[in-house]
Amino acid sequence: MSRGNHNDGPAIEARGVSKRYGRTVALAPIDLSVARGEFVVLVGPSGCGKSTLVNMLGALERSDTGVIEVAGHRLGRGARHLNHFRRMEVGIAFQLHNLIPRLTARENVQAAMLGAARRRDRVERSEELLDALDLTARANDRPPTLSGGERQRVAIARALANKPPVILADEPTGSLDDDAAELVIDIFKEWCLEGGTVLAVSHDPRLSSAGDRVVTIPVAAEGG
Amino acid sequence: MTFIGLILRNIRARPLRSALTALAVAIGVMAVVALGVLTDSLNHTATQILEIGEADLTISQKNTDDIINSTISQEDIAKIGQVPGVRRAVGALLGTDAYDDQHPLVIEVGLAPEDQAPFGVNILEGRSYGTDAANEIMLGYVFASSVGKRVGDQITIDDNTYTVTGLYSTNVSFGNSTVMMPLSHLQGLNRLDGQVSLGFVQVDKGARVETVGKAIDEAFPQLATIATASDFGRADRNLMLIGAANTGGSILAALIAITGVLNTSLLSFFERIREFGIYRSIGWSRRRVIALVIGEAVVVSVVGAALGVALGWGAINVLQQLDQLRGIFQPIYKADIFTRSLSFGLTVAFLGALYPALRAALVAPITAVRRE
Repeated sequence: MSRGNHNDGPAIEARGVSKRYGRTVALAPIDLSVARGEFVVLVGPSGCGKSTLVNMLGALERSDTGVIEVAGHRLGRGARHLNHFRRMEVGIAFQLHNLIPRLTARENVQAAMLGAARRRDRVERSEELLDALDLTARANDRPPTLSGGERQRVAIARALANKPPVILADEPTGSLDDDAAELVIDIFKEWCLEGGTVLAVSHDPRLSSAGDRVVTIPVAAEGG
Repeated sequence: MTFIGLILRNIRARPLRSALTALAVAIGVMAVVALGVLTDSLNHTATQILEIGEADLTISQKNTDDIINSTISQEDIAKIGQVPGVRRAVGALLGTDAYDDQHPLVIEVGLAPEDQAPFGVNILEGRSYGTDAANEIMLGYVFASSVGKRVGDQITIDDNTYTVTGLYSTNVSFGNSTVMMPLSHLQGLNRLDGQVSLGFVQVDKGARVETVGKAIDEAFPQLATIATASDFGRADRNLMLIGAANTGGSILAALIAITGVLNTSLLSFFERIREFGIYRSIGWSRRRVIALVIGEAVVVSVVGAALGVALGWGAINVLQQLDQLRGIFQPIYKADIFTRSLSFGLTVAFLGALYPALRAALVAPITAVRRE
């Protein structure tokens, strides 16, 4: 990964990016460009590769073809400093939340900041995020005792913890009621107003209508 | 939440498993402590025999199974006295006998009266025995106190009755628990006429102990010169074997403890693959994941090591009560036993957790994220 200039170029740039698992095409070649400060919603039928694309943009897996640049960092074979990239340049809110069940909501948020911020800052930041996402009352509870919506909000708080320039969110409002969904959407919008970028995968029309732009990913062709 | 706090949280989350791992380490440390103290104590006891004589060099038969069974002719002792640089050479015969149930192993020293002072014997009360007095004996003051004997009393050892002519002290505490009698009498009792067990050599002022020792070694190849406690192994094969058994036992204990930690850490790894993947997906470095796994093992092992020291102390107390060891085994707790135990615990933790830690660090973030 080459270190880029955060002030130039799009926040996310994907050209000819595709992914297969064996004979199965997970993501047909796609081009995508998201400007800094933009709030883009990815939509498409199930199995079209939306989550796969998010995983590749988050440097969790490599694309088979194409070029990916996120926050000025080129990803792909030979990329370096990926830990730093995953921690400081992108925040991912996973569809399945991926929280540590043993840790409280507060600790899950702080876990993302271990080694990246001082203890006092970790505490302040986690309190700030949990408050913004209306989770203060559940801060000391562990994920198994939280509702699906609360877990989702904790996952979003963790993604925002290190104030990364790019937020990748996979179905961030899928299990939220209207009030909570509105809260999350507001936070994303505010994030973008402050210069951040949000790319959210969603089937939720509430999110689609709130985004600056909606990008549709066509269904991937099977076989071959 | 701090990193250390996270380590402690993870340990507390699996209390039974953590306790069993600590127990595995504790058993290993217990073995190391007990064997270490036992070996140190036996070494100390044996070495003190050498130190009774105020000598620069002690001479024994080479490669004897037990220093007490060493035999050297008095003729050789006399010749050693003629080696350049030797000021004085004294021969002493050592034997053992039981006195009563409380004193199953009493060390008898056969020494000519004129050699007592050079040997470091200080008569506290009474007088020395006669040169060839078969019915006279002196008692170390600690032994005398222990058996309740005073100057003028009669004492019977192995069916021989003696009159206590004096009480003495020596330069080392061990010697104060011995009894001393004429050399010729002890030689007769043990059918070792003209033989002694050990020679004690004092060198001339200005002479180098190493040089004199080398000269004696060269002139008497059947004998071993001992200048330091570490030389003792050259003469006493039992101590070498005890030392080897200690090393072997400690290695075995380490292997058992490492296997315990490895087993637990590996099981824990398989249960936590997803968790490690999550850490990696939020930007944790491999090094931090390794530190987490090894840190958990280190904390558990340090607790186990502390428990092991306590168990080892208990085991030593049990050993001390054994009839076979009563009177011989006086536990010596050296300060380094704690550092050795801690080092053992840390080594066990590191080696036992290293492989699972590396496996955890190599978990691909995406694999873990997809794992349900």
